[in-house]
Amino acid sequence: MTQYAELQVTSNFSFLRGASHPHELVMTAALLGHRAIAITDRNSLAGVVRAHDAARQVGIRLVVGARLDFDDAPSFLCFPTDRAAYGRLSRLITAGRRRVSNTECRLTLDDLLAHQAGQILVTLPPEKPDDAFVRILKDLRTRLGGPLYLAAQHLYRGDDAARVESLAAMANECGLAFVATNDVHYHRPTRRVLQDVLTCIREHCTVDQAGFRLMANAERHLKSPDDMARLFARYPEALAHSVEIAALCRFDLSELRYEYPVDPCPPGLTSQEYLVRESQTGVRQRYPRGIPDKVAKQLAHELDLVAKLGYAPYFLTVYDIVRFARSKAILCQGRGSAANSVICYCLGITAVDPAQSDLLFERFVSAERDEPPDIDVDFEHERREEVIQYVYGKYGREHAGIAATVITYRRRSAIRDVGKALGLSLDMVGALAETVWGMSLDDIDRGQVRALGLDPDAPRLRLALTLASKLLGFPRHLSQHVGGFVITKSLLSEVVPIANAAMAERTFVEWNKDDLDTLGILKIDVLSLGMLTAIRKGFELIERHHGRRLEIASVPQDDAATYDMLCRADSIGVFQVESRAQMSFLPRMKPRCFYDLVIEVAIVRPGPIQGDMVHPYLRRRNKEEEVEFPSPNLKEVLGKTLGVPLFQEQAMRIAIVAAGFTPGEADQLRRAMATFRKAGTIGTFRTKMIEGMVARSYDRGFAERCFSQIEGFGEYGFPESHAASFALLAYVSAWLKCHYPAAFACALLNSQPMGFYAPAQIVRNAKEHGVEIRPVDVNHSLWDCTLEPAASSTGGVALRLGFRQIKGFAEDDARNLVAGRNNAYADPHALWRRAGIGVAALERLAAADALASMGLQRREALWALKGLGEAPPPLFARDDPLAGEPTVALPAMSLGEAVSVDYTTLRLSLKSHPLALLRDGLTTRGVTPAARLATLANGARVRIAGLVLVRQRPGSAKGVIFVTLEDETGVANVIIWPHVFERFRREVMGAVLLIVTGRLQREGIVTHVVADRLEDRSTELRTIATSHETAITHEFTAMVENQRDRRFSSRDFR
Amino acid sequence: MRRIASIWLPHLASDLAHRHRPDQSGKPLVLITEQANRLFVAAPDALAEASGIAPGQTLADARALASDLAVMSFDPAAVTRALESIAQWCLRYTPATSPVGEDGIFLDLTGCAPLFGGETALLADLVARLERQGFEARASIAGTPGAAWALARFAPGTIAAPGAERAALAGLPVEALRLAPETAATLHQLGLRTIGALYDLSRAALARRFGDELCRRLDQALDRTFEPISPVREVPPWRERRDFAEPLLQPEDVATTLRRLIESLCARLAAEGLGVRGLECLGFRTNGSTAHARIGTSRPSNDPVHLVRLFAEKLSLLDPGDGMDGMVLSPTALDPLASEQPALTRDGTQTGDLAALLDRLANRLGAANVFALAPAESHRPERAQRRVAPGTAVRNLRWPDGMRRPLRLFADPEAIETEIATSEEAPLHFTWRRVRHFVHQAEGPERVAAEWWRDAAPAARETRDYYCVEDEDGCRFWLYRQGTGDASRWYLHGLFA
Repeated sequence: MTQYAELQVTSNFSFLRGASHPHELVMTAALLGHRAIAITDRNSLAGVVRAHDAARQVGIRLVVGARLDFDDAPSFLCFPTDRAAYGRLSRLITAGRRRVSNTECRLTLDDLLAHQAGQILVTLPPEKPDDAFVRILKDLRTRLGGPLYLAAQHLYRGDDAARVESLAAMANECGLAFVATNDVHYHRPTRRVLQDVLTCIREHCTVDQAGFRLMANAERHLKSPDDMARLFARYPEALAHSVEIAALCRFDLSELRYEYPVDPCPPGLTSQEYLVRESQTGVRQRYPRGIPDKVAKQLAHELDLVAKLGYAPYFLTVYDIVRFARSKAILCQGRGSAANSVICYCLGITAVDPAQSDLLFERFVSAERDEPPDIDVDFEHERREEVIQYVYGKYGREHAGIAATVITYRRRSAIRDVGKALGLSLDMVGALAETVWGMSLDDIDRGQVRALGLDPDAPRLRLALTLASKLLGFPRHLSQHVGGFVITKSLLSEVVPIANAAMAERTFVEWNKDDLDTLGILKIDVLSLGMLTAIRKGFELIERHHGRRLEIASVPQDDAATYDMLCRADSIGVFQVESRAQMSFLPRMKPRCFYDLVIEVAIVRPGPIQGDMVHPYLRRRNKEEEVEFPSPNLKEVLGKTLGVPLFQEQAMRIAIVAAGFTPGEADQLRRAMATFRKAGTIGTFRTKMIEGMVARSYDRGFAERCFSQIEGFGEYGFPESHAASFALLAYVSAWLKCHYPAAFACALLNSQPMGFYAPAQIVRNAKEHGVEIRPVDVNHSLWDCTLEPAASSTGGVALRLGFRQIKGFAEDDARNLVAGRNNAYADPHALWRRAGIGVAALERLAAADALASMGLQRREALWALKGLGEAPPPLFARDDPLAGEPTVALPAMSLGEAVSVDYTTLRLSLKSHPLALLRDGLTTRGVTPAARLATLANGARVRIAGLVLVRQRPGSAKGVIFVTLEDETGVANVIIWPHVFERFRREVMGAVLLIVTGRLQREGIVTHVVADRLEDRSTELRTIATSHETAITHEFTAMVENQRDRRFSSRDFR
Repeated sequence: MRRIASIWLPHLASDLAHRHRPDQSGKPLVLITEQANRLFVAAPDALAEASGIAPGQTLADARALASDLAVMSFDPAAVTRALESIAQWCLRYTPATSPVGEDGIFLDLTGCAPLFGGETALLADLVARLERQGFEARASIAGTPGAAWALARFAPGTIAAPGAERAALAGLPVEALRLAPETAATLHQLGLRTIGALYDLSRAALARRFGDELCRRLDQALDRTFEPISPVREVPPWRERRDFAEPLLQPEDVATTLRRLIESLCARLAAEGLGVRGLECLGFRTNGSTAHARIGTSRPSNDPVHLVRLFAEKLSLLDPGDGMDGMVLSPTALDPLASEQPALTRDGTQTGDLAALLDRLANRLGAANVFALAPAESHRPERAQRRVAPGTAVRNLRWPDGMRRPLRLFADPEAIETEIATSEEAPLHFTWRRVRHFVHQAEGPERVAAEWWRDAAPAARETRDYYCVEDEDGCRFWLYRQGTGDASRWYLHGLFA
């Protein structure tokens, strides 16, 4: 048997070059009987962890290395022999990457010379090895100390025999060893087609233009050792050398054993002792009236386990970051697998009281599996950068970096790039990309392709669709993760190469979260969450205006009024339960306690929906169905969710309890959940789990349901600990909304953009709760929205809209304006003279009708400001040039115009709703106002009209489209079945104002209209603003644009 | 009294596209541009507009509005050229016409209307003729360019009597004043929507707020300021024309006239050092039809003898029929004439002779049948060259080196009989055209895969292994094997020198 190890392998982490995933290459090499395989991507180690993982699974040795391309030297394959050499290679690549601002890597031979110790270097020959190359080799030989090889490939170019012979002679002449490689670009010959397409994408050309940029044949695949032996029959040593190199490189990625950075502890204390002390202090503060037994026991147990595993530094690191945030009054909350521990509660990392739930610490931190705990911390979205810079500052860029996100091809990008490469016309490519909903892997809808006037069977088109589906999941480039920090004790650049991020002041490592996870490297997610910003702002407003000091942990628990409000689905603005799917679920779920909210948050997600877990749960909860457990064991696991598995932990427990998995296997299952769709390793688990359950005499149907739910977790997994953290924020925000609607709405508006609804809906909802809303005004508003005393308003405060609501108005201008206001601006001239802002900004104020307190309508205000010209610098007063000007009577504005302009300038109107102005015409057409739907009988025929607020096609809803319409009386939910959608596609996708005819469907207090006919009446919006013809439609078009971006994101399921 | 007509061609771009693609009529059409990887509608035709498609929309949105949409790309330069040529065509009405903006034309009709039966008749004639050519046209006449422009767009067909501009414009929207979009938008915001609403406002107040633009436009429209129009000159730069009082009836007369036209043109060209790359001759027959003939040359030429000779092949196309009352000769392409060094040796004249020969061959055999070969980028040998017109500069194209290719490549590879040793070796001998050759030496294989995006037939999708072989007589051949195992077949694709 021939011995061979392939050492020159370009995976698809050499972006747009390699046409196979690292795991495909590794597995194929194992299958072919290679002794080892190297992954040598270009100036990168981005793909090695995946290769390492696959190699471990199939039992082949991975030689870690990279191909290095230089500005001033031939390319090398570089293989570190040990950990130290690996660190040097990583540092070398880091140097090349940090040098340039883009995604490139610039290296020179000097870099290599500086980092060559311990590396085995393999020189790659140029296209035409000539005398010049021989001179270079001789020079290299003298300058490079370590083992140096020359690679040769059999390229099937016709002259291979002569070429290999001359390379062998050169190696001999220069004193280099000679090694055979196959310059592998894909694992199987059939991938050549995809490789050609990648080349075209890289070269920005079509396949017809690509010419010699494409490879001539499909030989760059992994070949069997015997094939290689045949091609290099005259040079057996060339194959032997490949094995020799592999044997010399003893470095293995699992050597990157992680060492936690140690935070300074108080003198005389170890980190474990310090953690114990802080936890003990914390627990006494958390439970001032005595520590419950259960908690005390659990805390002792957890500390014990942490001590055993040496995780104390990790908890202290998170503790430090959270303490920093708190010191700056930045609201934060932890989640993630380890977050819902008593330790985290005591350290103030989370606010979920462990006494209220029983979250088993071991489920994620166990002595059995040696892997780091996982804590994610959410911070206020507006202030997270402060925390990030704190982490950089504290540990330094040599020890802290952000994880990468591997941007991969999705359906749209794949179709677009492949289509262009195949030379499909621009509009055809655009049209194809447009037909894609979401990122599902389903075949493209042929009917839709036909509807575009394209023939789905045309050869090129078919080819494009096939190739695009092969390209799915291919990495496209690296980007920084939203907030996953890697912090290391040793030099980070010796663990993994670091590159500059597109964003200033950010650097990120080449590996993503999964990679880091695979290697057991610590990461802390410093994430941002808009709702935390809103809650903090809400707390501040309440303290200022109502004199009540609140924190997340001190918000009164189990408040009946809050739960009553949620049961009514009155949840606009409330974290997690404001989406349409959640809103329709709330009245059925009728949450009455915190744990109900935990379930609420977890259940309206694709996993449980696809696993058909929602309805059984509801039936059981409503006592329409007996709660029964397939076995007593499962009762323990599923008791609190009434026998229905909802959480990731439960899926794992079922696998252990019911299917006989070991905890280790269950953990593999959990990992597989995250990568199911990518890797497709699902099959083995499926069989193992279902058969395991059947063998333990569980019902096969139940087993299959359990498993399909686990599959659903693949993309949207939700462990109980996450759900609990989210549920807490849901409860706190609901409580705020219930008791301080004005402050809540104000805080939401001041935290935009966030959440599900636009300012118009938030304002309107606040109005419905009796809050007086006051318009933006130059004499009353600040940049942010504010609260003003108002006896008649709910809670005694009115909501004053801030300048931030004015489209295109800058925050700095608002600050200047407020600073120059003194008591008030008496007239436009005073404003113009003192506000110190430009004329364009002044005109925006006029257009937004913000000069009303001077007694000026927007037209008069604009006329006056226009007449003043460019504003003077402050302090340089000038006389009012308009003093002598005769007054001009400008035509008065109709209500319709005013509303239209309000929408244009403020995105909302306090004067009226566009639909109110159209109501007469709508009534004659038999349109029912949204508010009256509640009074109609189930099954009634109805016609409704409204502005399209949201349109969604959730992946879990099998092609059903949900549209929310808004009129002046409220919102109406419309359901459009796929067959109706096909007929009214244009209306559904394009309309701003829709009239929907259909049947009323009521379930509990939730009412839908199931559409059978849709009319696009967008043009009617023009009639209400006869004057400003295009303005309103433009504004609405912009709204639609936003939604169009949204329609793919399935925001129901964030 | 000054009289100005303004023409508006609202769908000029799409009208042009329709003229080029008459088969698409009946379907809504949009012309598109690409910006930042997205496709936008630049110019919809009337049908597309009727479905709600407007410029600036994305193509995807437009498709949602009209599923049977035809799509072409927008060529602003072509539209500009077309507008200029329509402006020239308008010279039939007046000596002074001028294109305005992207879709308008001014005609100074002062004193011209009576020749066409009055302004009403002239306007009707103008619009009808343009529409017959496929251009949707709106037109109006007034005493100032500004007023005529406004009326053509917002009250087409209006003829404002001298001095009646103020009244005629009062009801039109302010956009009719040719204002910058921001100015118009501000006026709308102020509720000043019509031109009439501006009449009563003080000029000082308006000027303070809108600079002099608004007042100037108002003055231009109302004839308070003179606005010149800059007329296009009819410049037939390189064009020869003869009109005959007595129509020509004999083909010989046509030939004689053509020769005179060529001689006259060549004399002018020689003075400027120019030569033609192509010539077009039009003959206008009395029955309204047009005869048409054109020639091309491979190198710029102003040699009348050569050009006349080239036309000799085409004279039959210039049949006078019932009579021809006019002929026009114009170059289709002009280039500076490379001033040739008079040759010192006889050989030196050969290039000139070759060029003339090539032209004659091309004109006789058809341009497609006289060609040179240039390299083309393809791994498939039969596609590695393409035909180009003789004399085409192929400076930047080089045959790739390092690839051994036979001097003679057969258009159709010829099947050969062989006996093979193993799957990756050249045959020991082969029989081609009934002669058996014993392979003495061989090199290869060079493996060339199919061009998967191009080759549809299964046989064509097979990979080929090429070998250079030399037989015992020292003749060298280029063989390839296609297919694998027992199904493999051998072909001879070329011969080395």
